[in-house]
Amino acid sequence: MKYKILILICVCLTLAGAAGSLLVLNAPAKQRVNILSNGKIVRTLDLSEQKDVVFDVNYSGRTNTVEVKNGRIRVREAQCPDHTCVKSGWLSSSAMPIVCLPNHLVIEFADAESEVDAIAR
Amino acid sequence: MRAKVMRLTQLGLLTAVSLIIFVIELQIPNPFPIPGIKLGLANIITVFAVYRYKAGEVFAVVIARILLGAVFSGNLFSIIYSLSGALLCLAGMLIFRRFIDERHLWISSVFGAVLHNIGQIIAAIIILQTPQVLMYFPFMLLSGCLAGLFTGLCAQAVAAKLKVLS
Repeated sequence: MKYKILILICVCLTLAGAAGSLLVLNAPAKQRVNILSNGKIVRTLDLSEQKDVVFDVNYSGRTNTVEVKNGRIRVREAQCPDHTCVKSGWLSSSAMPIVCLPNHLVIEFADAESEVDAIAR
Repeated sequence: MRAKVMRLTQLGLLTAVSLIIFVIELQIPNPFPIPGIKLGLANIITVFAVYRYKAGEVFAVVIARILLGAVFSGNLFSIIYSLSGALLCLAGMLIFRRFIDERHLWISSVFGAVLHNIGQIIAAIIILQTPQVLMYFPFMLLSGCLAGLFTGLCAQAVAAKLKVLS
């Protein structure tokens, strides 16, 4: 009996994970993108207006090369051990940012915010 | 004295075996480009050790494996994530082993894997200072349950074969 309950909890956790994953994957893309390095916003872009550009973000001597092309954004190259951020590809879900753990880099969609909000942050 | 040396040898062997598994797993390409998602095969040894050894001994094996594993993989930054995950997971599993017996080892392995991922995501939130990384949690929860099930079943098979020891 005890084990039936525990197994049920396992199944529920798995299903919750699957359902949550689907929700996150289906969150729509937005236009505004924040690039955070070590917790601070270093650059904000509007993808609908932004021209194609390639630029570097540095963190303690290591570089992530970020590329904006045709209104999409990705990490093109990274000096880090795992390259998870490069393999993540183009940023597509507003719920799931591109993350580079070694270089403390986060690229995420943001709500259009007024300047006051930007300063308050 | 003799029993102590036996014990120490077994712990050394466990550490070595889990390191070997860890290094082999590094060679398997990860199809999921999501941080924190992997099989964690080395935890077969962790789960097994939790059920057969004292708390302090398990901690020693796991911490030695994490530190040496970080050196071998050249991925020193990951120590914080591995440690925060492993410590939470171990603490949880040492409690689970009190009321989940060895024949249902895989259940406590699944819970352990989920705790491992919770520890990692907490570390990521603190280090990146972005609560947005929480969005990765559903993926980690799903993968943690499946990976935990797999490592748990493996550990159970190991435990069944090693009835003689200890």
